[in-house]
Amino acid sequence: MTSGSSSRRRIVATAGMAATALVLAACGGSDGDSGDSGSGSGGTLTIGTTDKVTTLDPAGSYDNGSFAVMNQVFPFLMNTPYGSPDVEPDIAESAEFTAPTEYTVTLKPGLKWANGNDLTSSDVKFTFDRQVAIADENGPSALLANLESTEAVDDTTVVFHLKAPNDQTFPQVLSSPVGPIVDEDVFSPTELTADQDIVDGKAFHGPYTISSYDFNNLVSYKAYPDYQGLLGKPKTGTVNVKYYADSSNLKLDVQEGNVDVAFRSLSATDIDDLRGNDKVKVVDGPGGEIRYIVFNFNTQPYGATTPEADPAKALAVRQAVADLIDREEIADQVYKGTYTPLYSFVPDGLTGATESLKGKYGDGQGGPDADKAAKALQAAGVTTPVELNLQYSNDHYGPSSGDEYALIKDQLEAGGLFKVNLQTTEWVQYSEQRTADTYPAYQLGWFPDYSDADNYLTPFFLTENFLSNHYDNKQVNDLILQQVTTPDPAARQALIEQIQDLVAGDLSTVPYLQGAQVAVTGTDVAGAEDTLDASFKFRYGALSKG
Amino acid sequence: MTTTTTELTGAGAAPDAAPAPSARRRSSGGGLGSYLLIRFLLIFPTVFILVTTVFVLMRLTGDPVTAALGGRLSGPQLAERVHAAGYDRPVLVQYGEYLRGIASGDFGTTISDNRPVTEVLTTYGAATLELAVYALLVAFVVGIPLGRLAAYFRDRWGDATLRVFAILCYATPVFFFGLLLKLVFSIWLGWLPVAGRASTGAEIQLQTLDGSTGFYLIDALRLGNSEVVADVLQHAVLPALALGLLTAGIFLRLVRTNVIGTLGMGYVEAARSRGVPERRLLRKHAYRPALIPIITVIGLQIAILLGGAVLTETTFEWKGLGFQLTEYLQARDFVAVQGIVVLLAVIVAVTNFIVDVLAALIDPRVRY
Repeated sequence: MTSGSSSRRRIVATAGMAATALVLAACGGSDGDSGDSGSGSGGTLTIGTTDKVTTLDPAGSYDNGSFAVMNQVFPFLMNTPYGSPDVEPDIAESAEFTAPTEYTVTLKPGLKWANGNDLTSSDVKFTFDRQVAIADENGPSALLANLESTEAVDDTTVVFHLKAPNDQTFPQVLSSPVGPIVDEDVFSPTELTADQDIVDGKAFHGPYTISSYDFNNLVSYKAYPDYQGLLGKPKTGTVNVKYYADSSNLKLDVQEGNVDVAFRSLSATDIDDLRGNDKVKVVDGPGGEIRYIVFNFNTQPYGATTPEADPAKALAVRQAVADLIDREEIADQVYKGTYTPLYSFVPDGLTGATESLKGKYGDGQGGPDADKAAKALQAAGVTTPVELNLQYSNDHYGPSSGDEYALIKDQLEAGGLFKVNLQTTEWVQYSEQRTADTYPAYQLGWFPDYSDADNYLTPFFLTENFLSNHYDNKQVNDLILQQVTTPDPAARQALIEQIQDLVAGDLSTVPYLQGAQVAVTGTDVAGAEDTLDASFKFRYGALSKG
Repeated sequence: MTTTTTELTGAGAAPDAAPAPSARRRSSGGGLGSYLLIRFLLIFPTVFILVTTVFVLMRLTGDPVTAALGGRLSGPQLAERVHAAGYDRPVLVQYGEYLRGIASGDFGTTISDNRPVTEVLTTYGAATLELAVYALLVAFVVGIPLGRLAAYFRDRWGDATLRVFAILCYATPVFFFGLLLKLVFSIWLGWLPVAGRASTGAEIQLQTLDGSTGFYLIDALRLGNSEVVADVLQHAVLPALALGLLTAGIFLRLVRTNVIGTLGMGYVEAARSRGVPERRLLRKHAYRPALIPIITVIGLQIAILLGGAVLTETTFEWKGLGFQLTEYLQARDFVAVQGIVVLLAVIVAVTNFIVDVLAALIDPRVRY
């Protein structure tokens, strides 16, 4: 009897222990992840993201996750103020062309790194010299293609010697991922520097410094009191950034108040769901990402190397596609408003953006027009339905690409003008084949290197372009080269608009979506709308809570 | 989860069976030493075969640089990178170099985030080990007592219910079970955190600790902050249950089968005929010997646990080796994948050796 009781007690105790652990843990309460420790004078804020950091070293990464960190902790010579796509001096006092191939930057005096080292022109020269020397494949050194050399004239003066004169995009390059200035006493001149060495070396001079760093798990930032840059004093003293792998976990945490801000990247469905949730605010801003269909001028229907080659008919086919695509439907149905319709080559929000395609194609209001498409084809003598092989990648532009292109196929085939053969390929093969004339028409997307209209023109529409789609318009080519070197902003803007109008006539590509920047915040968080601007940089210093 | 009934009952329990004379001779003649030596030496060919298999499988997909960076670099850039990494050399040369690297503790550098693979292994290994320990704890605490209970209620409703529970435990996919736990305890009831190893505040405090072990519970205890300890435990409950119940189901059935087996043995019958009460028979004579096979099964379970950890860690964002393995697979970083898989394979081989040693020490029959 005694042993029986003892045995029963043990069983009960064992079961009890398991249950108690669960209940105790539950009773402990999930008190939120808002991190109340280490709050600075300006409070504490927790941000959640699914982005990933590749490395903190600006020479070794060229991705959103890494650049997001750099924007908080490293100084730039030029930067974009809140609400603008255009650059101004950041830690520089002045920056200007002093000769056609000389861009001179004067630093503010008395700049200090967080470790106490002086921040001088020697650091600036070191930064750009090491970018060129390291030239890491994952890094952004290609953006310095026009840089001949960097000269430190004195402690505060730097002269950039350029290969091509009057490069108006160079100030933007200085604000891009190749632009973060690094401490020459901490960084290696010839190889990438480890994240922990950068953190331990306190090689920071941004609105924030990193106070603790757990790679792709948790980064803690503290406001840097000696920051003298364009963005001013941060509104929040301590910011913690928590990295998620699964956007649904991020959604749950922002919904429950465990994180104050969720930025990049909740799914379209989750954002749509959160729009109706009283506990959070969904804040939208313009995004730099664009989606477009590329036509290969050689292999598209009636293309230059096809048996029935006919430039007029080929143009009519492209025009008909532009007439038939219903951008609004794709944005709403597939992306729940996280993408917006795009009617030009330079996205909305950037200086020089127009809507060249809106009035020219479809119903003139942005909607599709099947009759107009039919007339364009008929006028050119094209036999319908036109058979169009349309290719997209199933693993590069997110899980919705399948839905996106199924809808585009439906839209093109709705009036019987097209018969679309939709095909998909894995990205590695896709990126090889698209430049090998394999695809007559195909999907691509683009993230800008910096927020200048040129970044949406030069790579695409010069005769030698990265699309390799055999588009060749000498006038467009010359105008693009001209706008890059036109110092007068108004004159340059006029040229950019003219280029867009010309390309809209040729339809080398048909742009149709612009990605929006979306942040989901707690109702007590302010400032997200200030930083969701056309600079496409999310600056934590704008955010405040309470 | 494919453990068979044979495995569950395989170790058998017949402590009353007298060893054969020949066996007794070998046992007394230093059998344990040679057994352990042979088992130890077997680790090397096992690991060698595992490493070779992983290498060959990874190379079947092409070279790691093209897999990770293909489509992002131009053809010449890619060729330059492949050449710099030495992946354009004969596979046998690469294989020899890889073996030399492993022997010196160098698993290479990840392609996607440029980190030494050894750093990845040491950084995230502790988290996986911590989860495995929690899971084993759950398996023991749940599986063994319930197995005994099932044997006690043999062929009655209680037994049937527990057997169904056991089948559900090891037949339910671990990721599905994890999602179910999250839905109930995190979303519906709001009792437990959705994901992660600790909340932001707790993690920041843990980061301030000098000489962090990577085991959050140990670090939290060293920190001496009860709130952080509670926070870490809260985060561990659901992943530990998801992974632990998988093994608990196997333990339950194993203990049940073996207890029932030993209850029918001659020495138990003899004790029964001497008037020993049934409950004492169960506790003293049948239960303890029935636990011995658990030791041997742990070796198998470690492999299953590590496999399950990949899914559990991903479901709960438990940032361990399993989680990283998924991340690197998505990034097609096969250098990192190769390193992690090799480490997991080595852990399984070494654990099996340790289990063999323990089993041999506990049960002399195992040596033969």
